[in-house]
Amino acid sequence: MGEKPEEIMKLFSKSEELLEMFRKGKAFTEELMYENERLRYRIVQLEKEKMDLSATLMREVERLRLENSQMGQKLEFVDGRFQEIEAENKDFAQRYVEVEEQNESLANLYVASYRLHSTLDPDEVVQCIKEILMNMIGSEEFGLYVVDEETSELVLAGYEGEIAQRFEKGRVAFGEGLEGLVAQTGELFFTEDAGASGEVCACIPLKIKERVVGVIAMYKLLPHKKGLSSLDHKLLELLAGHAATALVSSKLYAVADRKLKTIEGFMSLLRVR
Amino acid sequence: MERPKKNLLVVDDSATFRQLLCMSLARVDGIAPSNITEAVDGEDALNKVQNATFDLVLTDIRMPNMDGLEFVRRVRGDLKQDLPIIIISTKGADEDISLGMSIGASAYLSKPISMVKLRELIFKFLGK
Repeated sequence: MGEKPEEIMKLFSKSEELLEMFRKGKAFTEELMYENERLRYRIVQLEKEKMDLSATLMREVERLRLENSQMGQKLEFVDGRFQEIEAENKDFAQRYVEVEEQNESLANLYVASYRLHSTLDPDEVVQCIKEILMNMIGSEEFGLYVVDEETSELVLAGYEGEIAQRFEKGRVAFGEGLEGLVAQTGELFFTEDAGASGEVCACIPLKIKERVVGVIAMYKLLPHKKGLSSLDHKLLELLAGHAATALVSSKLYAVADRKLKTIEGFMSLLRVR
Repeated sequence: MERPKKNLLVVDDSATFRQLLCMSLARVDGIAPSNITEAVDGEDALNKVQNATFDLVLTDIRMPNMDGLEFVRRVRGDLKQDLPIIIISTKGADEDISLGMSIGASAYLSKPISMVKLRELIFKFLGK
């Protein structure tokens, strides 16, 4: 135990250093523990936040899914409405075309009947029938025959195309050929479609009540016309009645006018004497 | 404000077809019956084109005195007018249409006409 005081002091100093080191170690450990605690707390917080966020996210996803489904239904509904409206539009467009066709048809029928009854000149009536057949129906080759009461024959009163060459002297006896047969029976005759060259056969009796006064025979349509439409049938049916009265009344008027002029001539001769 | 009415010239020797055309045209918006002038042949039409202003001409081909093709030639050649001319004829073969268009017609329709088609052409040349 004979240690020197310097050594004791040195030993004492080292122990002090060691103690200091322990103290620092303790403080550092405490600091670490505190930090650990703080971090644990933070982790718990974050986990809670995460769970909250996840729940919010799930709710949002659910809401969006619902919205999406509603939008899908709405889209389906709108799509359905769109198709309905489109179908309605098509229907309206179709009806518009039909109304236009009916207007066209009425205009044609009106003009045809108006023109037929606007004159008392037999030649003008024949010309009018020809114009209707050419411009409104689109016939390239046709014949208009009137009944000669004395001979019971059909006389060609007007034509278009090469018809005149088909009949000798432009006369057809009742019951002979399609024209004569139609005149005899008083029945309309139509072929359904035009041939490749536009050939069609339509034979219409011109009748006043049950009396046949003439026949319209159509042999060929214009090359670009492929057949007779419902409007053509209506026009031809109209012609059957109106052309007959127009032809007969104009003939009667012409005969009466001629007689009147003859009588007036005689009267003026008598007055001179 | 009401739009100014368009002046139309209808050229056809058939009085029946002229009447039908005038009646149908009068139903088109922007065309008044009083603004439709009629001519009986190409010669008559040429005189009328020289003495008045028309927005559209509708002409037949087969007519006495001067046919529709000659009328179109004169309007384009002598009068140097570029007004729209629609030919409406019973001649509907491709070569007839080509001929009509080559001499200066603006459009070609075959008789019997469809008013829907004619209206489309009128809207094309005169605007809706």
